[in-house]
Amino acid sequence: MNKKILAVDDSGSLRQMLSFSLKAAGYDVIEAVDGQDGLDKARMQTVDLVLTDQNMPGMDGLELIKALRKMKNYQNVPILMLTTESGDDIKAMGRAAGANGWLVKPFDPARLTEVVRKLIG
Amino acid sequence: MLADDPPSGDQLNARVRQLLAGMAAHGDRHLAEVERDLVQMDALLDEAIKKLCASFMAIHHAVEQQQQDLNAFQAHTLSLPDYAARVASQRGEVARHVGDAVTGLQFQDMTSQLIGRMIQHLAGLREVFGALDTQGTVLPESGDRALLAVLDHISERVGMHCAALSVTSRSTVNQRHMNSGDIELF
Repeated sequence: MNKKILAVDDSGSLRQMLSFSLKAAGYDVIEAVDGQDGLDKARMQTVDLVLTDQNMPGMDGLELIKALRKMKNYQNVPILMLTTESGDDIKAMGRAAGANGWLVKPFDPARLTEVVRKLIG
Repeated sequence: MLADDPPSGDQLNARVRQLLAGMAAHGDRHLAEVERDLVQMDALLDEAIKKLCASFMAIHHAVEQQQQDLNAFQAHTLSLPDYAARVASQRGEVARHVGDAVTGLQFQDMTSQLIGRMIQHLAGLREVFGALDTQGTVLPESGDRALLAVLDHISERVGMHCAALSVTSRSTVNQRHMNSGDIELF
């Protein structure tokens, strides 16, 4: 069975690119349009990895990570931030919230897949 | 000056100058931000279009090459092992160019964030200019206390809108190129 990845981003085109790249690499992808949608979908089924944007309307990426880390079944699931932001301060906040890595947009599909493989095989 | 004394012409002039200077500084700061975002967006779009054009041409070239190889294989001028090796190589090349196109297509995410920020700046500026409207108040004809009160009221409203606008001005997009970004695992 394919590993499942939850991709959370308010940009439809970005979700499409993520989905395309990860599906081509053999993963199943569940898309969510913002932090709250991501949290709702994560509650419905446990995924193997979460990939989230930071700046989204309503619940942002950091809030999503904090909420996920409070859930028992998400305490050890790898969570990656994929965002346009690259400042050290926000990265530190991501790390403190429980993120396992930080990817700065735009992403290269091959490099993204390489990182995902490293984390979940 | 006693409390009941009418304000002097100098006081009114000073208040008008202060209001205009504040407006000029505020307008300049926010229009400079909009200009900065436009320049950044222009650079990102330029790179993205170049990247997408290059990827499109390369994919087109690879597909044409595949067709030529297939023709050669069918005409028995290309052996099966050679044909298989070429197909494998072209598949890798196409995947690389598709990857470049995927990176280039992400301009939409970044430019839409920049556009959103520009809209915030412009909407805020409109509110600031709107605060200059005296909303039907008839300006007093002589330089007296009432005129000073109107100017104070306008300054206060302009100040409020300026303060509200400065909160929204942080940029979340610092990219100047469409090259793929850094990856850091914690």
